[in-house]
Amino acid sequence: MRKTIFSFLSSLKLTITLLIIIAGASILGTVIPQQYGAEGAIHNLSPGLIQLFEALQLFDLYHSTWFIMLMSLLSVNLIACSLKRFPTSWKLFRKTPSLDADRPFQNLPPERVITIEGKPHGLIDTVESLLLKRYKRVRKKELERGAVFYGEKGIYSRFGVYITHASVLVVIAGAIVGSLLGFDAFVNLAEGESTNTVYVTRQKGIKQLDFTLRCDTFSVSFYDNGMPKEYRSQLSFLKDNTVIHQGPLLVNHPITFDGIRFYQASYGTIPGDEVYLSIRKGNGEAVAKTVKLNEPFLLDDEDTRSEVVRIEENFMSMGPAVLLEIKSPGNSTRFWVFKYIERIVERFPGILEKFPKFNPGLVKPYSFSLDRIESRYYTGLQVSRDPGVYTVAVGGFFIIIGFLITFFGSHRRFWIKVEEQGGRSRISIAATSTKDPVGLDREVQHLIKHLSLVRD
Amino acid sequence: MVLNTTMLSWVTFIYFGSAVLYIFRMVTGKEFWGPPATYTALIGLLAQSTALVLRWIESYKMGIGHAPLSNLYESLIFFSWTIVLLYLIIEWRIKSRNLGAFVIPFAFIAISYASFSPNVNSRIQPLIPALQSNWLICHVITCFFGYAALTIACGLGLMYLIKGLDRGEGSSAFFKLLPNRDILDELSYHSIVIGFIFLTLGIITGSVWAYSAWGSYWSWDPKETWSLITWLIYAAMLHSRLIGGWRGKRMAIMSLIGFVSVLFTYFGVNLLPGLHSYF
Repeated sequence: MRKTIFSFLSSLKLTITLLIIIAGASILGTVIPQQYGAEGAIHNLSPGLIQLFEALQLFDLYHSTWFIMLMSLLSVNLIACSLKRFPTSWKLFRKTPSLDADRPFQNLPPERVITIEGKPHGLIDTVESLLLKRYKRVRKKELERGAVFYGEKGIYSRFGVYITHASVLVVIAGAIVGSLLGFDAFVNLAEGESTNTVYVTRQKGIKQLDFTLRCDTFSVSFYDNGMPKEYRSQLSFLKDNTVIHQGPLLVNHPITFDGIRFYQASYGTIPGDEVYLSIRKGNGEAVAKTVKLNEPFLLDDEDTRSEVVRIEENFMSMGPAVLLEIKSPGNSTRFWVFKYIERIVERFPGILEKFPKFNPGLVKPYSFSLDRIESRYYTGLQVSRDPGVYTVAVGGFFIIIGFLITFFGSHRRFWIKVEEQGGRSRISIAATSTKDPVGLDREVQHLIKHLSLVRD
Repeated sequence: MVLNTTMLSWVTFIYFGSAVLYIFRMVTGKEFWGPPATYTALIGLLAQSTALVLRWIESYKMGIGHAPLSNLYESLIFFSWTIVLLYLIIEWRIKSRNLGAFVIPFAFIAISYASFSPNVNSRIQPLIPALQSNWLICHVITCFFGYAALTIACGLGLMYLIKGLDRGEGSSAFFKLLPNRDILDELSYHSIVIGFIFLTLGIITGSVWAYSAWGSYWSWDPKETWSLITWLIYAAMLHSRLIGGWRGKRMAIMSLIGFVSVLFTYFGVNLLPGLHSYF
């Protein structure tokens, strides 16, 4: 029973099946929108389908239980295969190669046998020195009328495959370490603001940092054709209100602080707290005035105090607006001043009569208009920690090393027999190789050419 | 049109000429057409290399200097360049022109799509912040050498399947010139190995770059995922060959399937949303 399970787990069939199933599942994941993408696309699906997809965890396929199971099974398969094959390779490596005078030479094609005039004495030395020069673990056995030799090279190439497979496991281990001990988070930070809280992406929670992060400035620059050229956040990292580290953060140039990496991920604008108003009294000239949120300002007559109490970037889908409060003794009025009041009136005739609070001329004799709201940049930062990344990198490096050893090396073994036959010398060359029969053939041809030129 | 783009559209015709000569040689069975085919491809390759260098210099003159590997147009041009380069190396190594008729057309298709499709913008564009990295060159070069080797493997797979239609005695020159199936199988295996190694390197360099640009070495972005799918397909192929002893027709068919996956990794992903959308 245990044997059957092991031979199933170490079978090539399982490997191929798993590779193909994982490939197929991955295709599915690129067709079905994943995670955040799913929220937007979900409306196009029928409720039944949504339920099915959710039950199968298809909206977060790559982190679903069954996908992780597939990956685990592939890892088990990989380990089982190596356990099955490694002892054979190891034995071959440790054991002194056999030196049979007959077996390797059975069924040898005639072109691998050459005959040379003269007795074999000198020839045996030539073959030996040739083998010693070119091959490893050379062995020699005297025969009645000659000698048989063994030589080999590239036995290390049998181990490339274990290096690659072990490295794949190292990569997977690194990925697991990263997903268990690391985190991915983001934070949006307006210029001048600071925070020590970031929002964890996957668990949808918050995370407190051991330090405070401040965005001093953010800037974006463009090429002449309008394409973005540079996003730059000037960040400060503080502990106990002292700046420990400062630096510019650019795309492709993350900052690492306290083991946590910060990336320039996005940016945007938010309304600031400054508002540009035009105020007209009666039929007089409009006067521009810049006011701050919640800072009272005086209109012409001393008794009326005004104040912007709310700023909305897009109020009721009618564009930028501010809520203005005007206080005169014994009287207080609040009303909205829209930026695009003409367009609003055009689109909704009679709106000002219906909603007097939208009328910019509500407080006589003044009439207000909103020119613009000052906006501030915020920078969108990705914040992450991945303690598994170096493990993954080492794994990746050794996958390639393993490939080079496996694909470009081959274990070539040669048996050469030199025998006297009727006053002449007969040389038989038998050879095997783990790979690359063409290359082996070329090498045997080379040996034959070399030996047939030898005359003693 | 700028000089380098003009040159590159001329190279399209040169590769067309070379492909026609290779095919002509196969159909007529006359080696007479062979050397002109090779030299035409070589002239095309040299002209294309010159144009690429000029384009590189031109971008510096514009003040936005970067290697010509940064958008769909430039990647297609580079794709055809790697195909022709790899092909000529193989032709020189195996001393046979028989693959030409099945490989050079791919290079021609890639470069003509770049030169003549209205959807492909041939202007030199500056690099957006995400592309401003030294990893751009490593990543693109390794990926495209991988794609080119796998394209050649696909051409070899096609040849293998066509050779299967050969009825032996009395068949046309075309069939006689197709190498025998063992050679095709062996060559196809070698191309796949080269392609697979470069594809792996492409994925690794891409991961390193992603780690410094996007904050994660792997984020299941569709292009990343498709490169993994392609990698898994070729991994399955290599295992079935090396351990399971699969040869011949099955491998030829697999190399066509693998190539479809390569094409999807390269182009199809533009249809899906993701981080690679600028390519």
